[in-house]
Amino acid sequence: MTMLRREALPIIVTLGIMLGLPAVLLGYETLIRPAVSPNRIVEIHASMPQNGGFGPDVVHVNQGEAVTLRFTADDVTHGIAIGPGLGVDLGQFDPGHAAEVTLTFEQPGRYTYYCNTWCGDDHWRMRGVIDVVDPANPDAIPAPQRDPVIEALIAEGIDIDEIKRRPEHPDANTASADAGSRMIGDVTIPPQIEETAWQRTHTPQQALDMLALLNADVPKASLMNVVAYLWVRDIDPATLAQGRTLYQKNCSGCHGETGGGDGPGADLASFTPIFSMTIDTLPRRGDVLYAKIRRGGMGTGMPNWGTVFTPEETWMLVDYLWTLAFRD
Amino acid sequence: MTVPTQPSPAPDLAPSLRGVPLGLSFPLQGGDSQAWGESRARPIDLLARFPVLKRMLKSRAFQPALQWFALAGFTLAVVAGLIGTPAGNRNFGIVFVWIVWWAALMLMIVPFLGRAWCAACPIPAPGEWLQRRGIISRIPRRLRTLHYHWPRWLKNIWLQNAGFVLMALFSAIILTRPNITAWALLGLTALGLALSMMFDNRVFCRYVCPVGGFIGLYATTAPLALRVKDTDICLMHTPKDCVTGNEYGYGCPWMTYPGGLTRNVDCGLCTECLKTCPKDNITLVWRAGGDELPAPREYRLDEAYKAFIMLGSALIYPVVFLGPWGWLKNWASIGSLTGWVLYAAAFLAITLGVLPGVFWLVSAVSAAIARPRLPTIQWFTRYAYALTPLGLAAWVAFSFGFVLVNGSYAISTLSDPLGWGWNLLGTAGVAWTPADPMIISVLQIGVLMIGLVSALNTAYRIARQSHEANWPAIKAALPISVFMVAFVVISLEMYLG
Repeated sequence: MTMLRREALPIIVTLGIMLGLPAVLLGYETLIRPAVSPNRIVEIHASMPQNGGFGPDVVHVNQGEAVTLRFTADDVTHGIAIGPGLGVDLGQFDPGHAAEVTLTFEQPGRYTYYCNTWCGDDHWRMRGVIDVVDPANPDAIPAPQRDPVIEALIAEGIDIDEIKRRPEHPDANTASADAGSRMIGDVTIPPQIEETAWQRTHTPQQALDMLALLNADVPKASLMNVVAYLWVRDIDPATLAQGRTLYQKNCSGCHGETGGGDGPGADLASFTPIFSMTIDTLPRRGDVLYAKIRRGGMGTGMPNWGTVFTPEETWMLVDYLWTLAFRD
Repeated sequence: MTVPTQPSPAPDLAPSLRGVPLGLSFPLQGGDSQAWGESRARPIDLLARFPVLKRMLKSRAFQPALQWFALAGFTLAVVAGLIGTPAGNRNFGIVFVWIVWWAALMLMIVPFLGRAWCAACPIPAPGEWLQRRGIISRIPRRLRTLHYHWPRWLKNIWLQNAGFVLMALFSAIILTRPNITAWALLGLTALGLALSMMFDNRVFCRYVCPVGGFIGLYATTAPLALRVKDTDICLMHTPKDCVTGNEYGYGCPWMTYPGGLTRNVDCGLCTECLKTCPKDNITLVWRAGGDELPAPREYRLDEAYKAFIMLGSALIYPVVFLGPWGWLKNWASIGSLTGWVLYAAAFLAITLGVLPGVFWLVSAVSAAIARPRLPTIQWFTRYAYALTPLGLAAWVAFSFGFVLVNGSYAISTLSDPLGWGWNLLGTAGVAWTPADPMIISVLQIGVLMIGLVSALNTAYRIARQSHEANWPAIKAALPISVFMVAFVVISLEMYLG
């Protein structure tokens, strides 16, 4: 009996270590930590898509509820951003490190958290969804967002998914906006070409053809410089900077840092357009680029970004794409 | 296989070098071995000098207290491995097992305290407690096991050698993936538990544990040792309480007769014999490391091969883990099955074939020079013991390479052991801070040099066991010395090249 009494404490200590310690750890994580946190914490583990991607990849949040999303990179360096329109970019973080953000969603809807740092071949698949519901009407399905630009293209009969390949007989091989700016006063320019709205619904090639009709004595290469200038002239520096940031974080993995189609993921796509060369840019329309970015490129491996970027951000990207070919 | 020898008078231990690890007991004077023996430094009796230590070691709570401390770390490592972040550098299981524990083991415990870790190791503890049906108290009953007998042909460290090689082949994933580490720890514990249910005492530790094998070998170089004060007292004391146990403690769980202890290999420092000895004839001594290396009662091929396995691993690991060759790391991490098979084949070939093969050749040259003539196998086995301090030095150098680079992860992991975003101590955000590469290089060069000097000295002392005169012994040990120098040159080339 004395022996048993003497062994009682050691047995309690031993069991306390072997069973109590894990219980304390789990209790702290599941009970104490949420209890002392001012708002709900959602732990989201980030792995390469081939390792499982985000876990969880769907988060349900009530409208008006403050929620802390804590992302932990489990395998390689990831970068996390949330869109559209939230302006949340948590930056890059290495394996084992965490980054968090606390958000309050005022409207029901669907948001996307995604990796914006090249993390592997299937990087672009690394996305998760935040479903924000109205607690008073949790089963309501948010109305699909309409996009007038895409609707207009469809109405016009434009094939958004047509792959624009390099023209066989290009009118100009290179174009310089700087050179164009120096001769802008020496050519006759139809007024509509200078309008942003017109430029977004027409190709540089169409503008070049119109200029050629009015300026028959000016070489086409020079007129192409004028077109290049007109296409980038009205882009304000702030928009350009934002477009550049969006491009470098989200597009350069496939399209390359300078639009050369030479990013690490380029070989994984069936077709990767080049934006750094004038001849590849001539037949493109801004609104079609916009639509491709938002819808994704069918059959090309281009993911859809409409769930990630706002329309304004998408136009910033389109504007930046023109500068890749037209800026010196 | 064993190779019996005639023990010879112990060589000199320079008094100023008492307590130096890595088996460094370099003779500072010439002359024959008898002359050295006369000037030999006496080991310090630690228990006589520190009575508090004696009282502590005699307490039955001493070992369980160590084991509880280690068990807490073990439990946390397993939990973190199973449910914590898979990122190794943020997971307690990886950081505290393979960086903190490994650093403590290889840089401090083994070189200075020998098998002290075995006294604290939590892996065999549950099995031992179940055997005894008690944790602290001396339960006066027979151990509860199936009382099977461990096969005689396995009473060696070949199983430990095989276990270490097996773990070494998968070490790239064990060392980097927390869940694999957790399962490896649990697997070893389950094995220890099963063996404790089948066999009396610490069969797992003595014959199976893959870590215990090399700790035992390298413990022979450590200054700390448990020894009897007077062997005559043991001889005359027929009850042998240290073997049978008494009301104060259990019979030696390591199945060793303390009265005959001349080497640290088979003593787990559990201190049961300190408690049971009615004659107060057992103590802890602090001595010149490596004293026991050249004079075991028998030179054993299983221990010799352990030296090669450790030496070969210490040569391969820096290349794989610290080198710039990603493809090699990928092979070792089983990035492709073919790659891993090639890596495993190369690992086995180098550690079990090439290295012993080259050593066999230099042993054959030594055998040709030596008088009296002995078969090459005997010289091969004897001289392999001289590789012990060199192997330990190589492992210490390798450990410096990654412990000092990755050690700072421990600070952040303390605050967030599971990688769940905690910040318990406010240190979760401490950035990774690797040590200055120059400092690491200096330490590596220094420890390799100490290991080389000690190994050369040991080889010479082994040669002196068969050569009365100085110069013939030097000549006999020369080929072995060339092998050792070549090893150090290659190691330095790896670390500094």
